[in-house]
Amino acid sequence: MLQNILDIWSKYNGEYVSGLITTLQISVISLIASLLLGTVIAIFCISPFRMLVIIGRAYVEFIRNTPLLIQIFFFYFGLSSLDIQLSSFVAGTLGLTVYTAAFIAEAIRAGINSIPKGQMEAARASGLTYIQAMRYVVLPQAFKIVIPPLGNQFINLVKNSSLLGVIAGMDLMYHADIISTNTFKTFETYILVGVFYLTITVPLSILVNWLERRLKRA
Amino acid sequence: MIEFRQVDKYYGNFHVLQNINLTISEGEVVVIIGPSGSGKSTLLRCINHLEKISSGELIVDNINVHDRKTNLNVLRQEIGMVFQHFNLYPHMTVLENITLAPMKVRKIAREEAQKTARYYLEKVGLAHKADAYPNELSGGQQQRVAIARGLTMQPKIMLFDEPTSALDPEMIGEVLEVMKSLAREGMTMVVVTHEMGFAKEVADRVVFMDHGQVVEESEPKAFFESPKEERARSFLSRLLNH
Repeated sequence: MLQNILDIWSKYNGEYVSGLITTLQISVISLIASLLLGTVIAIFCISPFRMLVIIGRAYVEFIRNTPLLIQIFFFYFGLSSLDIQLSSFVAGTLGLTVYTAAFIAEAIRAGINSIPKGQMEAARASGLTYIQAMRYVVLPQAFKIVIPPLGNQFINLVKNSSLLGVIAGMDLMYHADIISTNTFKTFETYILVGVFYLTITVPLSILVNWLERRLKRA
Repeated sequence: MIEFRQVDKYYGNFHVLQNINLTISEGEVVVIIGPSGSGKSTLLRCINHLEKISSGELIVDNINVHDRKTNLNVLRQEIGMVFQHFNLYPHMTVLENITLAPMKVRKIAREEAQKTARYYLEKVGLAHKADAYPNELSGGQQQRVAIARGLTMQPKIMLFDEPTSALDPEMIGEVLEVMKSLAREGMTMVVVTHEMGFAKEVADRVVFMDHGQVVEESEPKAFFESPKEERARSFLSRLLNH
């Protein structure tokens, strides 16, 4: 079996590496975009404006209660029936971002809510505006609390990106599907692709643990 | 300096403040006492608009606090507040805690703000703790830092919301000493506290509250020796007999 894996690797290493690069690109773009979108949604959810709260809550509940695969299909097939044709890369990254942002918003909201009310009160009582109080007092403290759950979301994001394979996303999973069809060595092909995902997620996991320990000390 | 005119406040159906009329002049030290749930802290928190009033008028430093057009951040610069649980910012050093508002609200340069901060830290006896983090300090020290934080904004009024209630008994004295010296220097102070000794010694006036009402207002000597109202008498006797 090991021989089979090595054979596949020597024949298809180009595909694996190109898939890995695409998966990394999708993950990094999605990570940054979902962090931004998630923060905005979180702020909607805790804002004093009823309308924004409703929008934020509706977003979170709708998105996290529908399957990611359906969301990706929506951006890829659904929009094309409205004559908006996105490439599989764009549609996939968009679906992944929209999906992950809902979970990130929840993590950030929980982090902000865990900061005692007295912190905001003391800051406001000294004359700081709401935005200043958030920026200098509440968010820096919430950030520390949010790091571990955010790390988990990023690891999930990398793994979830494998769903792009079904819309020809040119990512690791897509290439693996093709290789397994060509070689009929399904088991070995996917063992190898699993190892590739681990090369992304394990370092990410170690980084998150390290950050968590560091922040605990600070 | 502070004037409550027929102020009412409700939490839903609960009438927390009932027809409050109270005037506090510049340089006065007013101590508010009363059983828990009597509305003392709520009254105090209305002064800097941490709580909204439902009706009536509240004028602080010639500003109508609950007028929609009032810029609260301007008003709040002039009112220092000290909380029961200190509410220091745990991710900042003592010096950063104290200089945040002067730098961000009053736009004072860092060096200048730090100079003022060190002056007030010296005053509360904690000059050597400027670079410590709040969790490295005792409760009493944290509360003294919180007082220095309020003073560094050079406010016209200082509000104290049960400043010693969360402290171990041996640390109450050091905080009260700082407050007493502040009172002697003529700061306008409104203090919600259970420290009757402090009220007797430094208050110009004692306000006794019960069930959301100001029941009695008098000089401390008169209040403690011969309270006029039955509710005040029974409150004081409960305090003394336990």
